[in-house]
Amino acid sequence: MAAHLSYGRVNLNVLREAVRRELREFLDKCAGSKEHEVEKMFTLKGSRLPAADVKNIIFFVRPRLELMDIIAENVLSEDRRGPARDFHILFVPRRSLLCEQRLKDLGVLGSFIHREEYSLDLIPFDGDLLSMESEGAFKECYLESDQTSLYHAAKGLMTLQALYGTIPQIFGKGECARYLPCLMGLPFPPFQERHNAKTVGEIKQFVSQLPHMQAARGSLANHTSIAELIKDVTTSEDFFDKLTVEQEFMSGIDTDKVNSYIEDCIAQKHPLIKVLRLVCLQSVCNSGLKQKVLDYYKREILQTYGYEHILTLYNLEKAGLLKPQMGGRNNYPTIRKTLRLWMDDVNEQNPTDISYVYSGYAPLSVRLAQLLSRPGWRSIEEVLRILPGPHFEERQPLPTGLQKKRQPGENRVTLIFFLGGVTFAEIAALRFLSQLEDGGTEYVIATTKLMNGASWIESLMEKPF
Amino acid sequence: MDCYTANWNPLGDSAFYRKYELYSMDWDLKEELRDCLVAAAPYGGPIALLRNPWRKEKAASIRPVLEIYSASGLPLASLLWKSGPVVSLGWSAEEELLCVQEDGVVLVYGLHGDFRRHFSMGNEVLQNRVLDARIFHTEFGSGVAILTGAHRFTLSANVGDLKLRRMPEVPGLQSAPSCWTTLCQDRVAHILLAVGPDLYLLDHAACSAVTPPGLAPGVSSFLQMAVSFTYRHLALFTDTGYIWMGTASLKEKLCEFNCNIRAPPKQMVWCSRPRSKERAVVVAWERRLMVVGDAPESIQFVLDEDSYLVPELDGVRIFSCSTHEFLHEVPVASEEIFKIASMAPGALLLEAQKEYEKESQKADEYLREIQELGHLTQAVQQCIEAAGHEHQPDMQKSLLRAASFGKCFLDRFPPDSFVRMCQDLRVLNAIRDYHIGIPLTYSQYKQLTIQVLLDRLVLRRLYPLAIQICEYLRLPEVQGVSRILAHWACYKVQQKDVSDEDVARAINQKLGDTPGVSYSDIAARAYGCGRTELAIKLLEYEPRSGEQVPLLLKMKRSKLALSKAIESGDTDLVFTVLLHLKNELNRGDFFMTLRNQPMALSLYRQFCKHQELETLKDLYNQDDNHQELGSFHIRASYAAEERIEGRVAALQMAADAFYKAKNEFAAKATEDQMRLLRLQRRLEDELGGHFVDLSLHDTVTTLVLGGHSKRAEQLARDFRIPDKRLWWLKLTALADLEDWEELEKFSKSKKSPIGYLPFVEICMKQHNKYEAKKYASRVGPEQKVKALLLVGDVAQAADVAIEHRNEAELTLVLSHCTGTADAATADRIQRARAQAQKK
Repeated sequence: MAAHLSYGRVNLNVLREAVRRELREFLDKCAGSKEHEVEKMFTLKGSRLPAADVKNIIFFVRPRLELMDIIAENVLSEDRRGPARDFHILFVPRRSLLCEQRLKDLGVLGSFIHREEYSLDLIPFDGDLLSMESEGAFKECYLESDQTSLYHAAKGLMTLQALYGTIPQIFGKGECARYLPCLMGLPFPPFQERHNAKTVGEIKQFVSQLPHMQAARGSLANHTSIAELIKDVTTSEDFFDKLTVEQEFMSGIDTDKVNSYIEDCIAQKHPLIKVLRLVCLQSVCNSGLKQKVLDYYKREILQTYGYEHILTLYNLEKAGLLKPQMGGRNNYPTIRKTLRLWMDDVNEQNPTDISYVYSGYAPLSVRLAQLLSRPGWRSIEEVLRILPGPHFEERQPLPTGLQKKRQPGENRVTLIFFLGGVTFAEIAALRFLSQLEDGGTEYVIATTKLMNGASWIESLMEKPF
Repeated sequence: MDCYTANWNPLGDSAFYRKYELYSMDWDLKEELRDCLVAAAPYGGPIALLRNPWRKEKAASIRPVLEIYSASGLPLASLLWKSGPVVSLGWSAEEELLCVQEDGVVLVYGLHGDFRRHFSMGNEVLQNRVLDARIFHTEFGSGVAILTGAHRFTLSANVGDLKLRRMPEVPGLQSAPSCWTTLCQDRVAHILLAVGPDLYLLDHAACSAVTPPGLAPGVSSFLQMAVSFTYRHLALFTDTGYIWMGTASLKEKLCEFNCNIRAPPKQMVWCSRPRSKERAVVVAWERRLMVVGDAPESIQFVLDEDSYLVPELDGVRIFSCSTHEFLHEVPVASEEIFKIASMAPGALLLEAQKEYEKESQKADEYLREIQELGHLTQAVQQCIEAAGHEHQPDMQKSLLRAASFGKCFLDRFPPDSFVRMCQDLRVLNAIRDYHIGIPLTYSQYKQLTIQVLLDRLVLRRLYPLAIQICEYLRLPEVQGVSRILAHWACYKVQQKDVSDEDVARAINQKLGDTPGVSYSDIAARAYGCGRTELAIKLLEYEPRSGEQVPLLLKMKRSKLALSKAIESGDTDLVFTVLLHLKNELNRGDFFMTLRNQPMALSLYRQFCKHQELETLKDLYNQDDNHQELGSFHIRASYAAEERIEGRVAALQMAADAFYKAKNEFAAKATEDQMRLLRLQRRLEDELGGHFVDLSLHDTVTTLVLGGHSKRAEQLARDFRIPDKRLWWLKLTALADLEDWEELEKFSKSKKSPIGYLPFVEICMKQHNKYEAKKYASRVGPEQKVKALLLVGDVAQAADVAIEHRNEAELTLVLSHCTGTADAATADRIQRARAQAQKK
């Protein structure tokens, strides 16, 4: 029992136990016994498998073709003189015909005694946090028009519904988000087929057994050390300079010309990700850069960091993070003002608004969530239309018996699914909203990937060599 | 009530047997039963008759008719037999009719005479012909045992998973055995056969002679043998009119009986009840039926007609041309209650209830009597149990009423046994009805289970009754109603005389979106019947698009499959269809199909990116996607090519593509890169070292570090490196070299476009305060304070800040004032601040 998962309004231990049971069932099948002693764990890599005195070898893999090649290599280079070992393969989160075809082409498909899928779509990270840990999700959706991760996200949501009940209302913003309810619109499969989910009664009983305690998370010592490490960064002059530029952009200062700090960063060959982040930020805050400015940045980056990054720059353009101004007006100031994305008076010690997480900037996604809960999106229809992608509302009818009236004083629970990834600051902002005494809403966060600005940009980079 | 036990016949002291009518048969039999091959399925199953023309030579030219009836005699099927001579008929556990032909081919028919399949019992059987055959049931399924003309046995223990086993030879066997049977011991099928006075047991390894213990002497041949329903017991009828009864293992004799009839019986079957101690067999001759057991006397019945015995789990069914009866040992509860002058609690309770209905005070007396003995619970239980064993609804009701009456006087009698019995009897009475004709007893019903019973109703196409039973018993939809509706739909699609539209609509009307019903399964069945169009219509009702795909592929509707796969959002499924299409269509058509499906196209592009780069190029070409083509060639210039010229050529293609894409910037950048690559190559040739694939910036830096300033300058000019960056570059490189002299010269070459603070910073980074100080003085006023603080000159920094009257600068300097050394400076700042405030 993982205590840290059960402190929230939605007990994520139920999910954890459900997926654990699925895993145990698979292990039972492979080992043919009730004991599943895991002798060793290896990271998947080519050539021969490390030696281990074991009978069963189980590959846990994402269904990706390049991983199949590695597995095939492992299997084919198995020492035939040694004792025969049984191979099994467990695709996470979905079995793939394409991968199996690949294994077949490589002549190893028959080597696997069990080939199954482990529908671990959403991994519980904390009492209010679930992630698919699919780092490619944003890139696949926006650069490759590959919506596999959306399909998995929909499946993950269906699992949540099977365990916790139907989600009565769904609001969404964005092209990919719009697609999700379509995927979920698939009729609900009969209960017993879903991962052998327990009956509602059993779940209730299970939940009632959990200790109602606030989990003591982490030790004080750990937190102190982490805080010190963070402080080293945040008090550095460079961090301060960068933050200053970011804040200038976000408050709309000098976003339309070449920024000398960015220029200097390039000239001093600061990490490329940092440069790209700043340039993208400037582009977004200016609804695109003047062609001359954009070309200047691009040329500077190519000359300094190497021509090969032209692929990365194109990716950023394709994703809309970097773009030339296409005439029309700059919408960012309207958005900033209407949604109060920039707050001048931030109290970081005793915050009163989510903008404290970025020392001034209130994350747009979280502001939208906040406004949805009160006063509702109808009040911001106009600005919602300016923001990219459609917004929508869907309702799923509940059987009358299950419609539950909220008790007075009982908070509403809202699950926010960030497609493409959620940053740690956004998580902090939502947790802040959950904790507000008069907030009225508690948030559970789900996402395709936990990330920050750097890892996000990194996922869009392409290195041809 | 006196006459209620009139049909009870005692066998010995401890048991009664009764025979009652199940149905009066009004089947219109044109033949005598004796002229037919007969097979009746256990558990109240159907009866198959095939007039046997092959026995009499004279009528061989007339084709016989195979007829199938329900147990109540309702015709289910009638078909002209067009195949070869049949030796034996039998029903499988799934109620399929197995017809064993003389040539060893077994034809399998459904309950409604629909031909299902056929299989052969092997070459040896074909050559030697079938002399005799038996269909038998084991825990694995239904088996077939064959005796060939060569007096050898071949058997298959499970016709569902046909594995033929040829049994060992019986040494010296010259003629056919006088009788034989299959036994099932330790999960293996054996054959027991009698030849003259000898018995042989065949297992698949050996033939062994066996002797029944305690067999009376003087036997010269065995005329009949019978194995009990559960294979536990064996009975042997000898030519001396003697019957031996014992265990099937032949290890123990249970009893024996001498009936003194030497004529060979037509049939002999066991008649026993599960968990009963009584053992009895029923022996039938032409006009006589005898029940014999462990008792000196037997029970005898006269048979008015040609009759046929069907062994059941708990008794024997006996049908003839006009009636269908059941003969069984009276169950204990019934015996206790109805035995004449019984004082059993159940009997008293039944009486009490009757008196109560008559409003007689005797009711109270009886009840008191039971209660005083503390037997009321037992009485209620007895009545409930006995009700289950009664065939007549009136009697069932009387007993249940008595139970219900008794229950009123009990505080805590759990209601479920009573409720369940009411439900069970309601189901049983419904299926025993003449129109349905499944005369199951309570014990058989419990053994069979409700699920199997529902299957059998479905098999008889009695869908409404099956659904009513499901609803009445409140079975979960998925196991109950949905399953039956799905079966109904699968039957419906076979009705060829109804149009596709009508069938599809009828099915959808009835099934709607009942959970657990798979339209794709029904569609698959329709396709199996050759109705592709109907299958497609049915698939339209399948809400899970993904489920539609495999069947559509099978039906070669790949393009439809593609759009359904896309609809499902399951990309893996889309890939599957794509690879299918790729093999099915020629390249041009395949590409055209992709073109109309953007999602599939992008997935396929991803696939090609990893698997088929050339195809990827073709796809981009087809779409005139020059931008992506450009990127493609760039990747190729890094991945595929080793030689510089090859790489440059790839880049040239990229540049051309970018021009076509009207991406001037990318085209120019690519051309620059081509120039740079060639140049780097030349540098490597001339200067040695590594240049290729360095960025322009790093190339220039490398040149500066290598002391090739001229070349560096030239390169910077050629590629128009902005002055500011070039200054940074040189500054960084020279500081790295710690060439302070050169750095100073450089700083004086002209006015720095980046100011002099970077000079200070970089010297300090290299821990050279001396050099740093040189530049600090040249830093412009705005950054002067910062520069002075960097080189540690707090006092001068204070001066500048005070001069600037800049509050932020003052604060900054103040924060750098540490220890006593800077105390005076701090003082000065405070004073300046105070003064500023006064103003």
